[in-house]
Amino acid sequence: MKQATGSPLNAAEDRELLRRFHKDGDVRAREHLVTRHLPLVRSLARRYAGRGEPLEDLEQVGAIGLLKAIDRFELEREVSLATYATPNVVGEIKRHFRDKGWAIRVPRALQELNARMSSTIERLTSRLGRSPSIAEMASELGVTSEEMLEALEVGSAYTTVSLSVGRGGEEDGDPLESIGEEDTNFERTEHRASLEPALHHLPSRERKILRMRFEEGLPQTQIAERVGLSQMHVSRLIRKSLAVMRDELA
Amino acid sequence: MPEHVTVAVPLDEAFVSVVRIIVSGVAERAELAFEDMDDLQLAVERLLAEAGSEGRASLSFELGAGYVRTRIGPLREQGLAEALHRLDRTPGQLTLAWVLDTVVDSYGVEEASGDGIVVRLEKLVGEPM
Repeated sequence: MKQATGSPLNAAEDRELLRRFHKDGDVRAREHLVTRHLPLVRSLARRYAGRGEPLEDLEQVGAIGLLKAIDRFELEREVSLATYATPNVVGEIKRHFRDKGWAIRVPRALQELNARMSSTIERLTSRLGRSPSIAEMASELGVTSEEMLEALEVGSAYTTVSLSVGRGGEEDGDPLESIGEEDTNFERTEHRASLEPALHHLPSRERKILRMRFEEGLPQTQIAERVGLSQMHVSRLIRKSLAVMRDELA
Repeated sequence: MPEHVTVAVPLDEAFVSVVRIIVSGVAERAELAFEDMDDLQLAVERLLAEAGSEGRASLSFELGAGYVRTRIGPLREQGLAEALHRLDRTPGQLTLAWVLDTVVDSYGVEEASGDGIVVRLEKLVGEPM
């Protein structure tokens, strides 16, 4: 799909898509705008990489800023969407860091160690043909097992920001992933036990991950490959999704 | 001879991260793979989440040749034992039993008394390929 740049032609196309979305309620136009401007989000997110947060998470957070910019854009503005969205995307990423408060609470060395773990797991999994042990990961990274465990816990305390921000900023589904088929297998039918699904409250990506893990029995590493995330990220999403489901039913 | 580690933890969400660190430390000693450690953490975490928020429970780890056996209890939440026995793999019915059945090699109610139940979670240490 064609990507948006700052050229007048693309700005005009953006404006037409914005008009279709805001005036006609054309959600496909909104999806199109998101796709066109994701490269901008990735570019901005990369500026904040290496500060203890996985790049893929920063891209997701940045995408929320993009969606807000699209939704709040006023057609009367004499400014391009790219120009208008940039401070929104950056603001969302900065807010994410503020919310995390890592700079204050977590030593930088641990943040950096945590950030290096995902790629280390992938590298070792590929090299060994199995999930590595903590000791193997520690050896690869040149740290002690205790430091590894400490850094791991730093990551597990992290709450992944969902893309579940819809029009108007309400949590009403996953706009970036609303393109695609419904997961009808995961419709809740009745509450028969304490941990039964509030699955329809989850974004489609999380539902797919749960289905792969628990219905298909795939290990996290394979799921990570299929959905294009790191294994650590998949782990966090599973934990968070199960907790969200339980809270929904509490 | 298996090694044993036993700790008592409050049934309080605020202590979940403490429990995770304990589990990861034990898993590291047992040389569990990273993914298996993550599975065991999830199993303990989900079980404790269903066990109410009052009182405390004992976490007992047995590190044997090729396995880590975790015992958690007493857990007093009514209906927990029944929920653990109900392994229903109906799509869309993601029960606690289903979660545990996926992430550990075996599990079950080991003791049941007036004080509550003790749940066993067992994870095998995978052979390097």
